[in-house]
Amino acid sequence: MLDLSSGTAKTVFCVLLGLIGAFLFFPIYWLAISAFKGNAELYRVIPTLYPHTPTFEHFATAFGRGNLLLHLKNSLIVSTSAAALNTALAMYAGYSFAKFRYAGRRPVMLLLLSAQVFPFGLLLISLYPIMTSLGLLDTRTGLLLSYIVFALPVSTYMLYSYFSQVPDELIEAARADGAGELRIFHTIILPVSIPPVVTVFLYGFMWSWNDLLYALTLIVSEDKRTVGPGLMLSYLNETNADWGGAMAASLVASAPVVIAFAFLQRWFIQGVTAGAVK
Amino acid sequence: MGSAAVARSGVQPGPAMRVSAHARRGGLKAGEKRIGWLFLLPALLAFALVIALPFLRALGFAFTRSDLQTPEPVFIGLGNFREILGSPEVLGSFATTAIYVVLATGFTVVIGLAWAILLNQTFRGRTALRALSLLPWVLPSTVCAFIWGWIFNSRYGVLNAALLELGLIPFPTAWLSTSVGAMTAIVVTKVWLSIPLYMSFFLAGLQGLDREQVDAARVDGAGNGAILRDHVLPHLKPVLLVVVVLGVIGNLQQFDTIYALTGGGPVRATTVLSIEVYRRAFDQWDVGMASAIGLLWVATILPAAYVYLRHLLKGV
Repeated sequence: MLDLSSGTAKTVFCVLLGLIGAFLFFPIYWLAISAFKGNAELYRVIPTLYPHTPTFEHFATAFGRGNLLLHLKNSLIVSTSAAALNTALAMYAGYSFAKFRYAGRRPVMLLLLSAQVFPFGLLLISLYPIMTSLGLLDTRTGLLLSYIVFALPVSTYMLYSYFSQVPDELIEAARADGAGELRIFHTIILPVSIPPVVTVFLYGFMWSWNDLLYALTLIVSEDKRTVGPGLMLSYLNETNADWGGAMAASLVASAPVVIAFAFLQRWFIQGVTAGAVK
Repeated sequence: MGSAAVARSGVQPGPAMRVSAHARRGGLKAGEKRIGWLFLLPALLAFALVIALPFLRALGFAFTRSDLQTPEPVFIGLGNFREILGSPEVLGSFATTAIYVVLATGFTVVIGLAWAILLNQTFRGRTALRALSLLPWVLPSTVCAFIWGWIFNSRYGVLNAALLELGLIPFPTAWLSTSVGAMTAIVVTKVWLSIPLYMSFFLAGLQGLDREQVDAARVDGAGNGAILRDHVLPHLKPVLLVVVVLGVIGNLQQFDTIYALTGGGPVRATTVLSIEVYRRAFDQWDVGMASAIGLLWVATILPAAYVYLRHLLKGV
């Protein structure tokens, strides 16, 4: 698109690439190498640019002290269930919006999508007493139910956009064969919709895994705490900051989403940007 | 994808295929109403429980006094709102939010757009670079806060070290303990973690750019600047609108990284609305005031949301 045959254009291009690239990637590099620096090397006014004496001591303390493994386990349980629930809900709703025509469809869709507008913090004020009265405060179930707030609207829209492209002939042929609607959806539509469904699953997973606000508020007991607030409460206090441990624990806590994302990022981008480019 | 799906599911063209050309426009016919709602029901129930009900309750709380001294909410009409108008603190957090949203959205749009245009060029390593660019976005917010908290650290932070070495500052800056420094830190963190998403939107938009038109303009002697100004930017205008609107909605709501980095401080320098509402509700347990502020917060999001939803529902 750009013509980079001239020297100036090429220079400008490379400089911009370098600058923005440095801004994006240097922090991640810094996170990674700081985790491998011993304390003597870490706490220096003029830092070393790479670990001269790499060490795993911070990983040892990260796993040893605090409850990193327990927090990871809790996060895994909550995020997986939240993602599964969100995907199931969004799947049926998206299919309904895409393939059925009924009075009220458009307003309901508008309502569901408008949920994005309500600030998570505002909903939390009343989710707290609601979860309390349901006996779900400080339970993983309560937390995972609350995570529907984050992901459901966009997930529904993502699957709606996808199902809209599935040809009606597919459904009509099955109907002509006498198949029921649920069966058609489960045995014909879903098998050809694996990529978007997986994308939506990952989307829900990411929101739950990365959240701090809800996890910090709706979970009180240490044994049910998830990794976001777990990290914060273990490492971020003014008096006693263990930055090496924080960096090591951060690497461990980021690994699951980063790995999942590495495999699925192509589908993911298509899904998330659905609807923006018309 | 259409034909591939048909082939994979092994559907043979039959009589049903013939009517479908007419049926398609109006959607599918038989019993759709009931079944359509049935498919929708689970999502609607969940929506009612965790979104609609909490919102309506907050709406109710906003007109009551409901705090630690008054456990049973007492209706006070517009009392909370009057208090907000008379409180420089709360009005201040609206101003802080505005500054934060404008800075974070503005910088992310500019850098995200530039990055997308750069990565739209063909060069070796582009695919890998695109994939890697998404990293900041998938990291847990606490991790983002750690990364930047460490970079901005007053004693051992690499930013101070770099600025000192370059001679740009005479002595280390305590970034997170000054108002401007703390605002800088939370904006930089948010810009950094949002660039990937904005970039993805712009890249998706750039795919629809008419190459032939650009090539024709090139033949007519248009330079890079002219191509960007006359072709690329006008083409991206609708995407830009969506990105700005989504960005504003997201930034108006941002809580995690700010809370973890500065906790709203020093004093109230980074107390945006999300922090304000959280502190009122969960530190002071003043649910009435928190809800009232929250409602005004929704009002600030509404214009952006209106534009966004109208765009999404185009042609539904």
